[in-house]
Amino acid sequence: MSTNDVTKRPSASFQSLLRLLPYAKPFRMHFILVMVLVVIFNGTNVLQPWLVKVAIDRDLSTANPQIHGLVVISALYVGSVVIGVVANYFQILVLQFSGQSIIRTIRLDLFRHIERQSMGFFDTNAIGRLVTNVSSDTETVSQFFTNFFLSMIRDGLSLVMIVVAMFELNVRIASYAMVLIPLLFLISLLFRKQLRQRYQRTRTRLSNIVAFLAENLAGIRIIQIFHQEKRQARHFNVLNTAHREANVAEYQLSVIFNRTFELLGNAAVAAIVWIGGIAVLHHTILFGTLYAFISYIRQFFQPINSITQQWNTLQSSMVAADRIGQVLMVEPTVVDPPQPAVVSDEELEGQVEFRNVSFGYKADRPVLRHIDFTVRPGQLIGVVGATGAGKSSVMSLLTRFYDPNEGQIVIDGMDIRRLSQVDLHRIVGLIQQDVYLFSGTIADNIRIFRQEISDDEVVEAARMVGAHEMISRLPQGYQTMLYGKGANLSMGERQLIAFARIVALNPRILILDEATANLDSQTEELVSQGLQAVSHNRTTLVIAHRLATIRSADLILVLDKGRIVERGTHESLLALGGLYADLHAKSGIEYKPEETVHPMRRS
Amino acid sequence: MRNFLSSRKWAYALSLLSIVISEFVMVQFPNLLGNFTNTLQTHHLSRAVVLHYSFLLLVVGVLYVLLYGFGQLRNGQLGRQFEYELRRRLFEHWESLSTAYFRKRSIGDLLNHALNDVRTVREALSGGLNILTNALFLLTATLIMTFRTVSPKLTLVSMIPLVFLPLFVIWWGPRIRNASRRAQEALSDMADLTEESISAIRLVKATANEHIEAHRFERRVDVIVRRQMSVFRQSAMFQSIIPFLGSISFSIALLYGGYLTITGQIHLGGFVAFTLYLAMIIQPLQQMGFVFNQFQRASASLARLEVLFSEMPDITNPENPVEVDIQGAVTVSLPKFRYPDGDRDALANVSFTAAAGETIGIVGRTGAGKTTLVNLLPRIFDPPAGSVFVDGHDVRTLRLETLREAIAYVPQDGFLFSTTIRENIGFSKENATEEEIIRAAQSASFWNEIEEFPEGLDTVVGERGVSLSGGQKQRAAIARAFLKDAPILILDDSLSAVDMNTEKRIIAAIRELRQGKTTIIIAHRLSAIRHADQILVLDDGTLLEQGTHEELLAHSGIYASMVALQEGEEALA
Repeated sequence: MSTNDVTKRPSASFQSLLRLLPYAKPFRMHFILVMVLVVIFNGTNVLQPWLVKVAIDRDLSTANPQIHGLVVISALYVGSVVIGVVANYFQILVLQFSGQSIIRTIRLDLFRHIERQSMGFFDTNAIGRLVTNVSSDTETVSQFFTNFFLSMIRDGLSLVMIVVAMFELNVRIASYAMVLIPLLFLISLLFRKQLRQRYQRTRTRLSNIVAFLAENLAGIRIIQIFHQEKRQARHFNVLNTAHREANVAEYQLSVIFNRTFELLGNAAVAAIVWIGGIAVLHHTILFGTLYAFISYIRQFFQPINSITQQWNTLQSSMVAADRIGQVLMVEPTVVDPPQPAVVSDEELEGQVEFRNVSFGYKADRPVLRHIDFTVRPGQLIGVVGATGAGKSSVMSLLTRFYDPNEGQIVIDGMDIRRLSQVDLHRIVGLIQQDVYLFSGTIADNIRIFRQEISDDEVVEAARMVGAHEMISRLPQGYQTMLYGKGANLSMGERQLIAFARIVALNPRILILDEATANLDSQTEELVSQGLQAVSHNRTTLVIAHRLATIRSADLILVLDKGRIVERGTHESLLALGGLYADLHAKSGIEYKPEETVHPMRRS
Repeated sequence: MRNFLSSRKWAYALSLLSIVISEFVMVQFPNLLGNFTNTLQTHHLSRAVVLHYSFLLLVVGVLYVLLYGFGQLRNGQLGRQFEYELRRRLFEHWESLSTAYFRKRSIGDLLNHALNDVRTVREALSGGLNILTNALFLLTATLIMTFRTVSPKLTLVSMIPLVFLPLFVIWWGPRIRNASRRAQEALSDMADLTEESISAIRLVKATANEHIEAHRFERRVDVIVRRQMSVFRQSAMFQSIIPFLGSISFSIALLYGGYLTITGQIHLGGFVAFTLYLAMIIQPLQQMGFVFNQFQRASASLARLEVLFSEMPDITNPENPVEVDIQGAVTVSLPKFRYPDGDRDALANVSFTAAAGETIGIVGRTGAGKTTLVNLLPRIFDPPAGSVFVDGHDVRTLRLETLREAIAYVPQDGFLFSTTIRENIGFSKENATEEEIIRAAQSASFWNEIEEFPEGLDTVVGERGVSLSGGQKQRAAIARAFLKDAPILILDDSLSAVDMNTEKRIIAAIRELRQGKTTIIIAHRLSAIRHADQILVLDDGTLLEQGTHEELLAHSGIYASMVALQEGEEALA
């Protein structure tokens, strides 16, 4: 839908289309075949008037006409039509298959390319825009490889063939007909600029309508509460009217343009009858030749019309190609090393070190400063601090969603930048605050569609985190379809699924961003039990929002404005009497009764 | 649709008539050429005759272009007028529907209707109608001409294959339509997956699942390719059969017409004219197939639009509304409330009373039902009868305009339109003076920042303008509500993104501005509601605690623990 409201960028050019040309390369044999089929189809088209001419001159208008020749001609005629139709049928299939295969490859590349990007890319690119790139821009570009290509070949070839046929028939009359060519060019030239301007104006105004509608439908509640329906309707009317006017103006011009062409065509026929008629009168040509000329002149205009209509296709393909190109041009900022280090799961200890790490999403705005800590294999550490203190950034760096500006992050003595991202993400697991669920079954959501994780393993994982009962209660159990991103599950249930997912994937190191969302007490109980199961036997970093969760952590880091201001165990920090102690004192009254909160324990 | 057509019937009659006449002019073309051939055959041809015929041809050509062009132009304009009116009505219709309706639908879906369905109908109504009229009357005119001037026998015999054309179209058309619907479904499947996958990109990356996602994506893309190819197979067949039938006709004309010519039953001119006639109608017949498809699609679009239009606003004025001048007393006595599409109660046993002029604070966790509760007051969602009262009247018995006129609302996200700040703040009052707007902005602690924008109040917000911060948006929305100066003001967690000092200033402004007027404040930060006459603590849809700040603290319940927790966090920040 939104491809239609392309706001044209000045950089949109033929260049961007050419850059996508390599995608067509594997199909060059197909394109050649299409050309051959087009030649056959066009050949039969040009042949048909000629056959009629032969019939008229040889069989019908002679002194003793003969039926036999007529039968032969008719048979040839039918034969040529059949060949033409069959050629056309296969041409459509071959061409469309190539077109579809090309978009398929572009789509796959584009999708893989997008998924390969680092997190910074997704911070700046709206999802809707990327979806449009993948779904409709590719569709638009494929028209270049199908409709546009076909028109150039078929219509271009038609023109050439018609011209050749005319010269074959009679050079003098054919040369007269050639006067048409500069005329046609002149007319096209006169109209082209205006046509494009009006076309784009209509597009822009339509996209204004779209933007207005999208916004107002989203804010319909505000309009209704403030009782401004009439006013917004008036606003809409202004845009709607502007679009109608542009639309009508565009249409008018295109009708005038097309009718001018037709007028020229009709005038050309009259002229041919005049010139050809005189020639017949002087016996320089036969009548059948004149007949063929009339047919050819009429045929002559079809390809020209069709080519001019491809103009819009070319325009929109260029814009779409440009947008695709801009996505494809972005290189991920986080890249794998040329020769990633090899890690074996057996030898993996799971020691995590941050060595003097500084980081900012923007260079001039540091979020983390000189972060330095070590987590020994199997330990659990808690990170606490106010919103914006940098807790989540610590997590994003360890997963290499971003690279630090300074310092090193090291797992088992190896800089994580020496690992491939696939390996790193196998080693380091992450449970986020928001649980993402895919449309699919619960089982698929736990195994995140990985075939190598069996149903038994899925059930086992769910059992371990205490999700099995909840899932079994659902009507279809593990095969229950989650729709609308898990709208049919409660917050707590979704968290349990996320835990089960991690257990199924079994990473050595786990980062847990504790959910801030408040849960009802029953599920809170379930979730905290799940948490324990998940952290069991793993090096675990917990970003805590409730102090109770990390009371028995091996190490607690207190972050403030991007720095570690205090570190130690719960007891030592309390004894220190600093920020942590302060915090703890003030949160003395727990929101939930103490008993229901299960502090995470070392096992 | 019918209304539109009947109100424009004369305009349509004129343009269609012009197309019809143009076709009767057009069919003179082969006739002239046939006569010309006959003159030539009978050796009566002279320079003057040649000139005469070519001049006549020119006249026919020019006349046809003018008449047809006129009809085409008029129809196109009418179609676009229709498109315009349909969109206008659609928007006004949507404005009348309640939030419950929009909750069920995606905006993308609605936009699709407003853009593509409307356009499809218009295309059928202008372009399609042109071609259909053109084709039908060209056919009629041709038949008349060939019957009269050439040979009824030849016409009947060679037109036989063409009889199958409409039959084929009717049989084959739906197959193409089905196939393309399935292809379309595959396309939106892929788009959905893309969106889902990109939304979950953190999860995908953190689990090194990119290749699995790519694989899932690939499967969707493959389905598209398969289904698209099926569409192309069907339509390639369609596009082949039609010209094929036409050509069979032509061959019969060639053979049988030739035979008639040889045996002297018709003149060579008649034969020539007849072949030209056939050539002339093949293209319109072919187009008729496309038009048929177009009409099929348009009728589907029209059906979808009719479904949209048939949706009745579910929150409407009562039949005999109570006329009151609302003072602002609010009483809620709600046994339970469930969303129309919900499967559990969103609120249960919530009762409270606020006298006009009181300030009510509402606190509770996300999902506790705070927003739901305040949404019942302006009937964004309809409360059950006899459960929500303003000034002692059930809100459902009041005139909707009166009720909403009396309520100013600041939504959670501070929704703004992408116009100027001036228009946003003055949204409730179209002719608000500059002074009023500035005062509202000042009260919302927004004016200082507005003054710093180069364009001041005329700064455009959003997409093509300055993008405001979350706090600025909230304050603009608060200023908008202040300007409305209604007896009841609702702030739905509208201070979440402003810093503490600003919050204090705004709360102070509220206390001053809202003296004697009812104010309902939902807040996460408890400092915002500390001074409320009454604080409601909601949890899981029920009212757990109720009282003043001091009363609740003394009660040492949930509210008290929330206060303690927040003070702790603030110390950290």
